[in-house]
Amino acid sequence: MHIPDGYLSPATCAVTGAAMVPVIGTACARVKRVVKDRHAPLLALGAAYSFLVMMFNIPIPDGTTAHAVGAVLIAVLLGPWAAVVCVSVALVIQALFFGDGGVLALGANALNMAFVMPFVGYGVYRLAAGNTSLTSRRRALAAGIGGYVGLNAAALCAAIELGLQPTLFHSANGTPLYAPFHLAQTIPTMALAHLTIAGAAEFILTLGVVAYLQRANLPLLRINHPGVVDTDEELAPTRRLPALRWALIGIATMIILSPLGLLAPGGAYGEDAPIDLNPHSYGLSAIPGGLQHYNGFWKHTLLADYGFASGRHASLGYVLSAALGALAVGAAILLFVAVGRAVARRRPDVQTG
Amino acid sequence: MAGGATTPAWLLESEAGAFPIGCSGRRRRGSALEKTLDGLAKVVRQAITSEETAARPGLLQSLDARAKLLSVVALLVAVGLVRHIPVLAGVYLLTLALAAASRIGLWGFVRRVWLFIPVFTGLIVAPAMFSFVTPGEVVLPLGHWFGHEVGLTRQGLTSAGLIVCRVATSISLVVLLTLTTSWPRLLSALRTLFVPRLLVLVLGMAYRYLFVLLDSISEMVIARRARTIAAGRNGRGARAAAGFSGGALFGKAHALSEEIHQAMLARGFRGEARTLERARLRALDGIWLLACLALAVLVVGGDRALGL
Amino acid sequence: MSTEPLLSAEGLCYSYLERFAALADVSLEVQRGERLALLGANGCGKSTLLKILAGLIFPDRGSYRAFGEEVSEPKIEDEQFSRGFRARVGFVFQNSDAQVFSPTVREEIAFGPLQLGLAPGEIEERMNDVVALLEIGELIERAPYQLSAGQKKRVAIASVLVMNPELLLLDEPTAGLDPRSRHWLLELMGELGAAGKTIVFATHELEQLEWVADRCLVLSEAHRLLAEGAPSEILSDRELLLRANLIHEHTHQRGALLHSHPHERGHHG
Ligand SMILES: Nc1ncnc2c1ncn2[C@@H]1O[C@H](COP(=O)(O)OP(=O)(O)OP(=O)(O)O)[C@@H](O)[C@H]1O
Ligand SMILES: [Mg+2]
Repeated sequence: MHIPDGYLSPATCAVTGAAMVPVIGTACARVKRVVKDRHAPLLALGAAYSFLVMMFNIPIPDGTTAHAVGAVLIAVLLGPWAAVVCVSVALVIQALFFGDGGVLALGANALNMAFVMPFVGYGVYRLAAGNTSLTSRRRALAAGIGGYVGLNAAALCAAIELGLQPTLFHSANGTPLYAPFHLAQTIPTMALAHLTIAGAAEFILTLGVVAYLQRANLPLLRINHPGVVDTDEELAPTRRLPALRWALIGIATMIILSPLGLLAPGGAYGEDAPIDLNPHSYGLSAIPGGLQHYNGFWKHTLLADYGFASGRHASLGYVLSAALGALAVGAAILLFVAVGRAVARRRPDVQTG
Repeated sequence: MAGGATTPAWLLESEAGAFPIGCSGRRRRGSALEKTLDGLAKVVRQAITSEETAARPGLLQSLDARAKLLSVVALLVAVGLVRHIPVLAGVYLLTLALAAASRIGLWGFVRRVWLFIPVFTGLIVAPAMFSFVTPGEVVLPLGHWFGHEVGLTRQGLTSAGLIVCRVATSISLVVLLTLTTSWPRLLSALRTLFVPRLLVLVLGMAYRYLFVLLDSISEMVIARRARTIAAGRNGRGARAAAGFSGGALFGKAHALSEEIHQAMLARGFRGEARTLERARLRALDGIWLLACLALAVLVVGGDRALGL
Repeated sequence: MSTEPLLSAEGLCYSYLERFAALADVSLEVQRGERLALLGANGCGKSTLLKILAGLIFPDRGSYRAFGEEVSEPKIEDEQFSRGFRARVGFVFQNSDAQVFSPTVREEIAFGPLQLGLAPGEIEERMNDVVALLEIGELIERAPYQLSAGQKKRVAIASVLVMNPELLLLDEPTAGLDPRSRHWLLELMGELGAAGKTIVFATHELEQLEWVADRCLVLSEAHRLLAEGAPSEILSDRELLLRANLIHEHTHQRGALLHSHPHERGHHG
């Protein structure tokens, strides 16, 4: 979901960049304090790994590209702040050598992939892993789920940033000056690609590496899991609440995905999808095949009748939905951080008690 | 250990009979994934290696990395603000001229810039040309849909062209910077500018580890290919192997990265790498930077003069 | 004071990932100016021991003193100690891929002296000398990780020698070098030893042992110290070498020189 230079207005780049300055600053300060000297190579390795993973991408018409990131894996291994550093570094290399993700757009890309993704994903991971042992299957699965949800949260943010462009920046005759797609187009297409292909890739990657480390290199997993016991046998059997946890995860996932539900019905070309998404017009077959399925979804629209030709009263809807989306993401992040903290605080007495 | 057990009998027998060596006419190419991995490793390796072009005697190579970095950022902002395709085309031609002045092969430069992201961008923005996405004056009607005329709109075409041109020009500017600046200089430029120390440190190490990972990937692909005899479609096998290899790759790269770090420690590394050259800014660098800032202002001003 | 050995280690134990034992209760002393060879079959713990001596990993149990100071993890975090220690100890890794990390050979060689804060002029001078010494003039602008194995090794050796360390830890320094370079390196080790440098090196080459080493340590496959003594003593103890799995039953000995030739399997066993 790299956004190259040219998709976003310099104003958007400036705002997101400014937002990321304190985040990077905090991350560097915290990582220096928390992650020991000994783990510096791990940080760099995480960055290199994330870079390589991001190289496997496919273009998404109406959005940007879809690919895995590996941010949640790093967050699981070294903590979310370390993931901020690693993924930012990977993004810098990408921007400098491949133009995949722009130099000006670094702030926006980092916001999505280096900040939202590791924190959301890590929150989900902590929730889903609960107080299981380090080698339990559920923990590996939780990492995978964290990766999946985190990636989708990041994709949603990217879709919002892109989708705001035509509303905010267009010339007098209505020519979009930057990314031309509206929220109602960017969000469903980005979500679709990331809920399926990229999400699956991220899930497999995160789960695979954590499962590998559970077998081959437990000390590496211990770095970010002080006080977590190694095997299930060492666990006190009474204090498990899987049902509640899973319910929480379900709710969390729904919160993450809800902006999609809110916004998808407003699809500007929802009514006209068959021609618009004629795959052969741009030589693609796989992705629009999936969109075909979405078409039915869009048919029953809340705002079905607005005139797409004028596009005038639609803009209010766009702004509204963008605000809602941003709010939902913000709320979700807050919730995850809060719950994550609560879980973290409760863990010690689970162990001793 | 060695010599303790006798060599198993099967190892001493010939297995030539089992697999005839003549051609059967059926070809098994490496699975798509294997090829992608291998190709990717090659592309990345090539792209991140700029030592050779950075060492050529050319215009941009003679400039200080900091001046270049700042001037590129200024021009990127200008390009970001431009709203007319002809102005973008002008800046693009300028990047070509700079590439020529820096002794970078033009064909290779153009290919490197266009091959990846602008093509992707073309795919991505293609739907925007249609009236469903970008309403406006239909210049190429494709028919009617519920009473509306649909087709390619002027606004849509302009928008798509604008974004592809802007993306290509932006990437050209960045590629010019990376092709003419060796990585260590770029790093020290970042360090002296606004980037936190830790980030630059990790950046430098990550760059080195990238080669470790790429080597591991190539080795794994080759080793797998060397061990695979079974004919037939092995795409699924390759994909499954890739899933497992993700972990193995991480493990392998981790062991090596640990050792590289030890090697750095052993030679007195204390978390902050010092570099050979303390480059001083010269008058030429200052002039260059001012010229680029002036150009950026000129580009934006000229663009606004053409109308909003 | 002057009688204290340069290095002394007591009861070193180390295991990787808390599972794979690499050293079990190994003690040793190294005198100033001594050339000590570490012998042992693959996986017996030579590299691990050298890394402990270089202060890169720290033993699970046991103590290690160097240059009259205790070497431990908290100690090495100390700015002054670590600088002094790193300046005195040079380590050539077995895996030269790990050893080289800089973008160019020039920077690779300059890395150590730069970290130690040598003056640029001095660095330049030393660099030219080692480049000439190791005949790597043509490689100086290349990326070190894109060289052949032997070339990498030369760069690695150059990057350590340029720091002019008091103690050289060499992990199979001659592996991967062509016969001429190998011979040259062994001569250099002799010369450095004569100049008062202390050299501890791991090796699988028994042929020139007497020539390059003053003393040998033999590690067993149980990661313990099996024997210690002068090269001639160790090499003539055929039974010991067999026990360490260093030689094959069909390795022949002529005088102290070893020599082996292939035999048909199945004659024995
Ligand atoms: N990174 C590692 N992770 C796990 N185990 C390791 C690691 N490195 C070494 N070991 C184990 O520690 C033991 C000692 O290894 P070491 O590298 O010190 O042997 P060595 O004597 O240098 O062998 P060689 O002659 O092959 O170089 C071996 O049994 C090896 O399997
Ligand atoms: Mg070894």
